[in-house]
Amino acid sequence: MNRVKILCLFVMFVGFILAKPVPQVIAQQAVDFERDIRPLLHARCSECHGANKQMAGLRFDKKASALRVIVPGKSSESELHRRLISTDKAEMMPPTGERLSPREIALLKAWIDAGAIWPETETTIAEAKRADKLWWSLQPLKQPVIPSVQNAKSDIQNPIDRFILAKLAEHNLQPSPPADRRTLIRRVSYDVTGLPPTPEEVEAFVNDNAPNAYEKVVDRLLSSPRYGEQWGRHWLDVARFGESKGFEQNHILNNLWQFRDYVIQSFNADKPFNRFIVEQLAGDVVGRGNPAVEVGTAFLVCGPYDSVGNQDEVQQKIIRANTLDDLVTATSNAFMGLTVNCARCHHHKFDPIPTEDYYRMRAAFEGVIHGERALATQAEKQRYAEKTRPLEARRNELTKEKAALEKSIAERAKEKAAQVTHYPLPKITRHFNEHRFAPTPARYLKFKMLAHADNPKSAVNARVDEFEVWTRTRNIALASNGAKATGATTRKAEDFASANAYGVELVNDGKFGERWFVAAPAELTIEFRRTETVERIVFSHDRTAAPDTIVTGIGPFVTEYQILVSLDGKKWKAIADSTARPPYNEAHLIERFAPSVMSAEEQQKRASLEVELTNINRELKAIPALPIVWAGRFEQPKETTYVHKGGDPQRRGADVHPSSLAVLDGALKSFELPADAPESERRLALANWIASDENPLTARVLANRIWHYHFGTGIVDTPSDFGFLGGKPSHPELLDWLARRLQTYGWQLKPLHREILLSRTYQQSSAHREEAAKLDGSTRLLWRFPPRRLGAEEIRDTILSVTGKLNLQMGGPSFRLYRYLEDNVATYVPLDQHGAETYRRAVYHQNARSSLIDGLTDFDLPDNAGAAPRRISTTSPLQALTLLNHQFTLDMAEALAARVKQEAPRNEAAQVHRAFALTFQRQPTREEETTALQLIAKHGWRAFCRALLNANELLYVN
Amino acid sequence: MNSLTLTRRHFLCDTTTGLTGVALTHLLNNEILAQRIQHHAPIAKQVLQIFCPGAASHIDLWDHKPALEKYDGTPLPGAGTEVTFQGKNGNLMKSPWPFAPAGKSGKMLTTLLPHTAKHADDIAFIHSMTSRTNTHGPGNVFMATGSVREGFPSAGAWASYALGSLNDNLPTFVAITDVRGEPPNGKANWSNGFLPAQHQATMLAAHQPLRNLNRPAMISEDEERSTRAFLQRLNDAHAERNPGESELRARMASYELAARMQLAAPEVTDFKSESAHMQKLYGTDDSNPLKAAYARNCLLSRRLLERGVRYVSLYCASRASGIDGLLNWDAHRTLKTDYERHCPILDQPTAALLTDLKQRGMLKDTLVLWTTEFGRMPTHQEGSTGRDHNPDGFTVWMMGAGVKSGVSYGATDEFGRRAVENVATVYDFYATVLHLLGLDHERLTFHHAGRDFRLTDVHGHVIREVLA
Repeated sequence: MNRVKILCLFVMFVGFILAKPVPQVIAQQAVDFERDIRPLLHARCSECHGANKQMAGLRFDKKASALRVIVPGKSSESELHRRLISTDKAEMMPPTGERLSPREIALLKAWIDAGAIWPETETTIAEAKRADKLWWSLQPLKQPVIPSVQNAKSDIQNPIDRFILAKLAEHNLQPSPPADRRTLIRRVSYDVTGLPPTPEEVEAFVNDNAPNAYEKVVDRLLSSPRYGEQWGRHWLDVARFGESKGFEQNHILNNLWQFRDYVIQSFNADKPFNRFIVEQLAGDVVGRGNPAVEVGTAFLVCGPYDSVGNQDEVQQKIIRANTLDDLVTATSNAFMGLTVNCARCHHHKFDPIPTEDYYRMRAAFEGVIHGERALATQAEKQRYAEKTRPLEARRNELTKEKAALEKSIAERAKEKAAQVTHYPLPKITRHFNEHRFAPTPARYLKFKMLAHADNPKSAVNARVDEFEVWTRTRNIALASNGAKATGATTRKAEDFASANAYGVELVNDGKFGERWFVAAPAELTIEFRRTETVERIVFSHDRTAAPDTIVTGIGPFVTEYQILVSLDGKKWKAIADSTARPPYNEAHLIERFAPSVMSAEEQQKRASLEVELTNINRELKAIPALPIVWAGRFEQPKETTYVHKGGDPQRRGADVHPSSLAVLDGALKSFELPADAPESERRLALANWIASDENPLTARVLANRIWHYHFGTGIVDTPSDFGFLGGKPSHPELLDWLARRLQTYGWQLKPLHREILLSRTYQQSSAHREEAAKLDGSTRLLWRFPPRRLGAEEIRDTILSVTGKLNLQMGGPSFRLYRYLEDNVATYVPLDQHGAETYRRAVYHQNARSSLIDGLTDFDLPDNAGAAPRRISTTSPLQALTLLNHQFTLDMAEALAARVKQEAPRNEAAQVHRAFALTFQRQPTREEETTALQLIAKHGWRAFCRALLNANELLYVN
Repeated sequence: MNSLTLTRRHFLCDTTTGLTGVALTHLLNNEILAQRIQHHAPIAKQVLQIFCPGAASHIDLWDHKPALEKYDGTPLPGAGTEVTFQGKNGNLMKSPWPFAPAGKSGKMLTTLLPHTAKHADDIAFIHSMTSRTNTHGPGNVFMATGSVREGFPSAGAWASYALGSLNDNLPTFVAITDVRGEPPNGKANWSNGFLPAQHQATMLAAHQPLRNLNRPAMISEDEERSTRAFLQRLNDAHAERNPGESELRARMASYELAARMQLAAPEVTDFKSESAHMQKLYGTDDSNPLKAAYARNCLLSRRLLERGVRYVSLYCASRASGIDGLLNWDAHRTLKTDYERHCPILDQPTAALLTDLKQRGMLKDTLVLWTTEFGRMPTHQEGSTGRDHNPDGFTVWMMGAGVKSGVSYGATDEFGRRAVENVATVYDFYATVLHLLGLDHERLTFHHAGRDFRLTDVHGHVIREVLA
């Protein structure tokens, strides 16, 4: 067994002990009911005394029954113990088979002697592999008694400390002494704002002798707008917020930043969280006409969304089911720590969530459509309508007038066309068109395209797969014959490295099948290697297809054209055009013959109508549009929600109504709406039920998240799963106390933050203590403050902050650290240079899905395909490469150098001191100062600053 | 393995021993490098997964259907008018190219892939694959991660997580994208999902060096050395002030590993040492730039595997473009011209790579996979000469370490519309892959969001018929 495994087992062992609620009285004993006794009873007794069989009416999966043969505290008086050690064949247990081992008997004895503690849950042994409705997290919040702390100084008033100290005492652990002030202000600044303190803030705190010096720091930080940026970012993790759609197309979302701003503002304003919940699920209902509230519903649609489309009906239903699954998952995990999503195909395997609950929740979201809606007040909407309506009315009139005129012209054009009975060339085709003309010398040939099959007025967006220009014997348009083709293209595939996928070069490559996408001006110019006598052209759109097949979906082909030649590329001579062919269709015919049948008056009228229409469209465009936000749309569902058996929409199960989840029926008042309840009522009812004071999960989950972000690990270490497979609370009473406290504070977070931050537990040193670590290596019991590495955004923000480059502009459209390419689907290419416009806090980065961001992705920025209730912190060589070599680091190193030179102009030693104060919030040691000056003397300031920005001390918080 | 659900901090929490820096370097290496999970003796140690995104047509490449030729132009029996991904389908359409017997086994393969066909006797075809989706994006990530939704670890990430690295100077898992761009759903195809970030693939290709690998041009070697030495002093002093925090030492070790990577990675992409004969075999200088680019990536794959990269995902073609079937295998409109473009790019370089691996004896340890996200319809699409998506039957193949040579497993119906015999799933496929890597797909788990996740979800059976 290698060292890693040993360490793992060790940690597992400690984690295991800590994960189980240890009854106080026997805490210092080795025996734990859940760990030691229940499995033992189950393995050795339940075959005859269990759920299925109860010999002598006795069962060891029920506390009450078992206590008939157990006298708590007295093993010698307990029938169970007597039978186990008896050698009398008539009464020994088990009567046959292997006896219990001496260790097992000792365990049972110790347990009985310690009081036979059998935790309150009546979970039966048979069901112990899953939770039932008596599962701890589903119970109403308790009113825990704040422990009195023995042998501790009487001045420990903060209840949090008393809970923590009591638990430490149970494990024979002592808390650590207070952290020094430099460490403390750095810790609390990062925790509350995600940024380091300035050297001045550190100095002020270190030198502040007032008894409330620390309190002042905490209050300053909690009222800083930086708080909302840091804690709002936490919530965005939980809300699986991403600013692109994900899936195949992954198009960027440029109007979702409003939700990010809403979250930040909500945290900064300390909006009561129960209100915040309701707004995110039903903001449009409770805040109709108030954009600041309505925007909350973006929570529903900020997850990944498959926008590709699908003609297959079965697949459409599956896609819709997946889309709504994202909402059920996000909502149940984020607010309640319930994995309702696990009940999509069957009853939850581990938690008492019937599959109907999944569909009850889905019923609430059945009418949610991913998309945009205008967020404006009623007055704004009205003002907008007042401006646009008259213009639109006028546009309609003009359009009608123009149509009437066109119709009359068309009639005459058709008559005129009917007079032409002979065309020298055949009708245009998509497959092959040849046009001969009188031989003429040319160095250049221009193919002016005037129309394509779908548009008689313009050839823009036509496709051409090949274009040939022939002398008597050779196609001299070929690139391989030295010709050069030029022409604009509509489309780019910028990630396609070797050539443009849609470019004009495709027309003279001698190959068919790939087409040039024609842009404006719709002209193709071929320059030949030298002047030659040309006599025909050939062009096509789909040369290889059989003449009788028509392939759709490959774009339109050119229908009207002119051919011009030139010897110098300046003077052009028209030599042929498409009037030699019959018009492609009636629309083309009208377009071609209309000019010859219109009167001067008609021509003038048509021109003036077009001018006026153009003007009106321009005016309409100039009216500022109402803010359109990716906040979802809502439609009344057409169908009753039903259970999908096995998760398959084709296998219809029972209908379900929008209603509360049965899993919590015992805990709070349920609701049930009719199957056809109005869409908005469904979401509102669910939101109110989730946000209710009676809902034990919501407050517990929120309190735990707060604890999690302050201490690095939650009281429950799986912040979005409070079910059977989630972690068990390390401090269950404290968790309930915090949850109740939150409710007492009216669901406002800041007072609770304050209470936590002012606790001794929070302020203690993070120094490693060997003897304590042996008992609690993962620091779950908080015998010290757990140190941590900064998160991805904190690292970037820190670098910008210490170098003086951080732009604290809040809100508004996001900045990007990638180049966005879109050609049907989106591609995100990381930037080699990060310009000054990106020097904002990383929370304002446009966090697209499936993108790779230097400095963020490497430092464990989560994949926002799903929620990230807990961030992982990894160490990898790629982090080192990015932080050492990306241009951003070099730019920042230069910036830091410039800053310290400006701020400490006295001498280089002072500048080194300033750099240390900025980056590490301390002065260098004499040795550090000396080596720094040596490095600077030899390689300049950049080398020194680059090292500082890579230092562990910058990246870790104690 | 519950222990592996612990984070790095737990992993390296050095509470019992006062490990020295050297030991901790070793520990970091162990964490990143060493095989961590093994359920039984592995047969394959490395994986090369060739992926042809866009749904490469089984019935035009690997799965010969004489009935298609016979009933060409007639309706698919019993189907009525089927509506699939893009809409209505027309009549049956035979493959535009003939098939021919290949190898000693006489396996019928398309004549469009003459080089690859020479390896027929070494390949185990799985003709009865099925997918859960008919859409490229979800299909690609399903084939790569076992989930139709993003956010799940790819097979390569699972391998990295379970097995660690075989080298100490290159990434564990490398994704080589095509010169034409990324596959549908891009980076989600090689994501670590909910596994720690170190398990995502590093993107590297002959045309695209590893990001941030090189010391910036403006920094001299001497400056770099001095900077690193100063950094080391800072970190040493900091670590001494914070005894017991092994993560600090691990991070220092990661800088050393990065330095080794800086030396090793450029060498991998430098083909100087490859003979002209070898380069010609692959086609690295082919006049078709797309083929040459893919050939260079094939050669790069071999060099990466040779140097101990655990899992290489090699892409041939990219995403859905403005024209179906232009940048990848998605031949909705013009199957004939599309595949006459794609097959020559794939064929010679891939065949050369297989030959090269075989000649060097690398197939003993290397499992080669050829995959695509789903198949195509035996009919043509209404109004087109191409085929629509078909998730109900398609072909993938395996060869190399532990794979039976020259077998065909499972079958579609006589037209190739549906898998009917030994129907196989993506889960079965990866259960088999993991099995060959010494892993039990039911026991390779990671706890996340309320439950233990697997590459094979709650499904999958090892396809024993393709095991040697």
